[in-house]
Amino acid sequence: MKLIIVPLLLLAGGVLMGAGDQDTPKKILPYPIHVHDMPNGLRVVTVPYESPGIAAFYIIVRAGSRDETEPGKSGFAHFFEHMMFRGTEKYPKERYNEVLKSIGASANANTSNDRTVYHMTGNAEMLEKMFELEADRFMNLKYSIQDFKVEAGAVKGEYTKNFASPYMQRHEKMRATAFTKHTYGHTTIGFFEDIVDMPNQYEYSLQFFDRFYRPEHSAILVVGDVTPEKVNALAEKYFGSWKRGNYTTKVTPEPPQTETRYVHVQVPDFPPFLGLSFKAPAFSDSSLDMPALDVLSNLLFSEKSALYKKLVLEERKVRALSAGAPDSRDPYLFDIQASLVNASDLQYVKDEIMRTIEQAKKQPVDPEELKTTVSHMKYSFAMNIDNPDAIAAALSNYIWITGDPESLNRTYANYEKVTPEDLMRVASKYLVSTGLTVSTISPEETGGVK
Amino acid sequence: MKKIILLPIAFMFWLPAMATDFVELRLSNSNKVVFKFMFRNGSVSDPVGQEGLTFLTTSLVGDGGTTTLTSTQVKDFLYPMAAQISYSIDKEVAILTFEVHVDHLEAFYPLMIDLLTRPRMDEGDFNRLKSNQENYVTQVIRTSSDEEYSKRALEDLLFRGTRYQHMPAGTVSGVAKLTLEACKAHYQNYFRHDNLTVGIAGNYSPALFNRLKEDVKKFPPGAPKLPDPVKARQPDGIQVEIISKKGALGSAIFTGAPLAITRRDDDFAALMVANSWLGEHRKSYSRLFQKIREERSMNYGDYSYIEWYANGGGNMLPPSGVPRNANYFAIWIRPVQIAKGLKQQYPELSDITIGHAHFAIRMAIRELDLLIKNGMTKEDFELTRTFLRSYIKLYAQTPEQQLGYLMDSKFYGRKDYLAEMDALLAKVTLDDVNKAIRKYWRSDAMFITIVTDESEAGPLAESLRNNLPSPMSYSTSLKESLSAEILKEDEEVATFKLNVKSVKIADSNTTFQ
Repeated sequence: MKLIIVPLLLLAGGVLMGAGDQDTPKKILPYPIHVHDMPNGLRVVTVPYESPGIAAFYIIVRAGSRDETEPGKSGFAHFFEHMMFRGTEKYPKERYNEVLKSIGASANANTSNDRTVYHMTGNAEMLEKMFELEADRFMNLKYSIQDFKVEAGAVKGEYTKNFASPYMQRHEKMRATAFTKHTYGHTTIGFFEDIVDMPNQYEYSLQFFDRFYRPEHSAILVVGDVTPEKVNALAEKYFGSWKRGNYTTKVTPEPPQTETRYVHVQVPDFPPFLGLSFKAPAFSDSSLDMPALDVLSNLLFSEKSALYKKLVLEERKVRALSAGAPDSRDPYLFDIQASLVNASDLQYVKDEIMRTIEQAKKQPVDPEELKTTVSHMKYSFAMNIDNPDAIAAALSNYIWITGDPESLNRTYANYEKVTPEDLMRVASKYLVSTGLTVSTISPEETGGVK
Repeated sequence: MKKIILLPIAFMFWLPAMATDFVELRLSNSNKVVFKFMFRNGSVSDPVGQEGLTFLTTSLVGDGGTTTLTSTQVKDFLYPMAAQISYSIDKEVAILTFEVHVDHLEAFYPLMIDLLTRPRMDEGDFNRLKSNQENYVTQVIRTSSDEEYSKRALEDLLFRGTRYQHMPAGTVSGVAKLTLEACKAHYQNYFRHDNLTVGIAGNYSPALFNRLKEDVKKFPPGAPKLPDPVKARQPDGIQVEIISKKGALGSAIFTGAPLAITRRDDDFAALMVANSWLGEHRKSYSRLFQKIREERSMNYGDYSYIEWYANGGGNMLPPSGVPRNANYFAIWIRPVQIAKGLKQQYPELSDITIGHAHFAIRMAIRELDLLIKNGMTKEDFELTRTFLRSYIKLYAQTPEQQLGYLMDSKFYGRKDYLAEMDALLAKVTLDDVNKAIRKYWRSDAMFITIVTDESEAGPLAESLRNNLPSPMSYSTSLKESLSAEILKEDEEVATFKLNVKSVKIADSNTTFQ
């Protein structure tokens, strides 16, 4: 074992640093990021990347289920993402489909709490057509009431397929329990009753488009076999006349939680599950709280952690263990999830997780262990950015969070700054029972976990 | 005709290569190196009564230790490098994939070779991995995704009585019988030097490649005798199996029929065009999607396939690593509403007895039938071909994907499947496509599996068995907004005659035993 550890630590010490001629670490993204801000507020980001003939074209709209503030309108951001494929006057849906098909791209969209992303990866030579097509629907979307009603059925179909999974049922209940006021209390697909009512919300859909599909809420990102000059010129040509709007979402802040909350889903013949969801901070690249929580989630709950080795490898009471805090615009959750072998161990596993957390509040982590963890996080990222779509997906995350793609590089630089004291501090601040929602899946009527 | 073509071709290529094959892809700008080890064994090599053995044996290699390091020590060693080890097991191959950053290549490489050629086969790892596998076949597959469930159930039906029938993860009784000794023996017999294809891609030196060629000699020599070739059963008309499941929210549907060709046949390019037009995976402009989802709002999507498509719910583009000799054509109808749900949602539908499954099946098979009868138009052919020639270039964007596709090419007796398909697509004609449609597809004989709620299973079976009319049950609000053209077509679909010969209902608890 010792023979292995020595080279391992030597390697970890040199992670992704410069070749010795620089004092500062290299940026995690080894490609220049070109940013061009248009007068109408639209930000255009280009990252040239060697991928002969292929480019990824993303449009990021900073509107998600967080922005569904009116009662009865949950799921609307996602529903609207569907409507964006229903055509314009210039390109009615049949023609839109034909042109999209002729581009030969892999194109789709997805919505989450804070944003909607439209993406198209394909032939870089077709970039101008992509711009033309996208600009037209983002500025001139027009759909009939019939199309609107029909599309609502597809959303119901999506709900039906997703909610065959007890995990989704748990997730929906957990969110509704953890958040009593903030719109994070509903999932992105929305409550089922709101989905059933969607066909009756045509007028609201027009208002939704008018509010959010505006340049100041959006950004364009192109990665691949392109130049910033070409991308910027196309953006000016096709999106230059896009008019600003004036809507800002007012989300009710979540009041402080004061005690542990519990939810349970009863399912026979399904692997027992335990979720511990702690209230966590909003993303920031100027504070070390979120980077420290990211590091902590790896240290305490990854395959390398002592708890994983105990519960999964040695005792075999748990099949899978993971944790993490998704980046979000408003304070969200630090989630710990465990899939168990036996439901009778739910309390034991919860106690072991809480014991580990309490220890992390009091006992500083070995600095070498910390280095190893940060090395893992940085190499994981570096290994995965091996195509235009992966780079665009990673960058888009920071564009919708802060608006600034350089947040990606700053975040990974922040991981290097996290100290053992930071880890104890964020564990004490956020991983507390008063901010906790416990969720369980088991064959029993109640979760039975204290 | 279908029977004649399949057998000789499949048999010719079934025989394993007599030495390790190598596939190289040097990418000097890459920051990593990818290794793939593809063994010609797969779940067809599971002994009778030990279904799941190849899966568990591969798991023990990919998620275990070496003779000198425990699995925990291996994880500790790899952690700071973020090196990735993954493995996949399909019907005819098991593949172990290793990816490492160039900074760690030297340290990582010997461990990789040890994991592969000197696996620890530890009892603790065996118990853990077997328990996870049992959990999958007894619970997860039946309770997590009705779509994946119906897809696996279709394969069970198509290949019943053959070594292709069971899921690679095995059966409930098969996994229960697996022992560590059986895994050790299976490793010795089926993970050998001469049934192996090795791939390497990324930023590596010629010296490393030479070292790799030497190191693979550490695998047991020779090649295993593989089971006789298999083909999908020919259904007698339309044969339906409904899996009745308590609490299902919708009806998840898969259909399938034997297909005589695979990627190794040039006709595959012609059929790719037809299939793309009919039901390209996750594409809104394909025919089935347009008819069932876009026009009628019945579900999330509807697609067709001319080969196995792994994890269709998650993948937008087809992954490599699942090459097969026994092929089939399939239509995937994502979950549609059941009567119980529709009645709760809309008071005006309080008297319906079945949901949308029968109508959706009729609609899909009718579209297939129309395509066989009428063929594609010149315009549709040209547009679809243009699309495909651009789209298939996206299948292999990463070093791992590029390497995977090149290795699959070898399986099918091709050098570079994607480049060769592009060349075939360039010269295929409308006539070729329409001939291929008529030659390889039929609408009157297929298997259908439906996972649905227990309240729906009986009435749906009755409706299918007797070819009863199945009018579409829209909410009043939606129906009012639909065009006369759609409603007229609905009437034709509702009574479209299906050549149903048998309908069975199986209880969910009895599947995959």
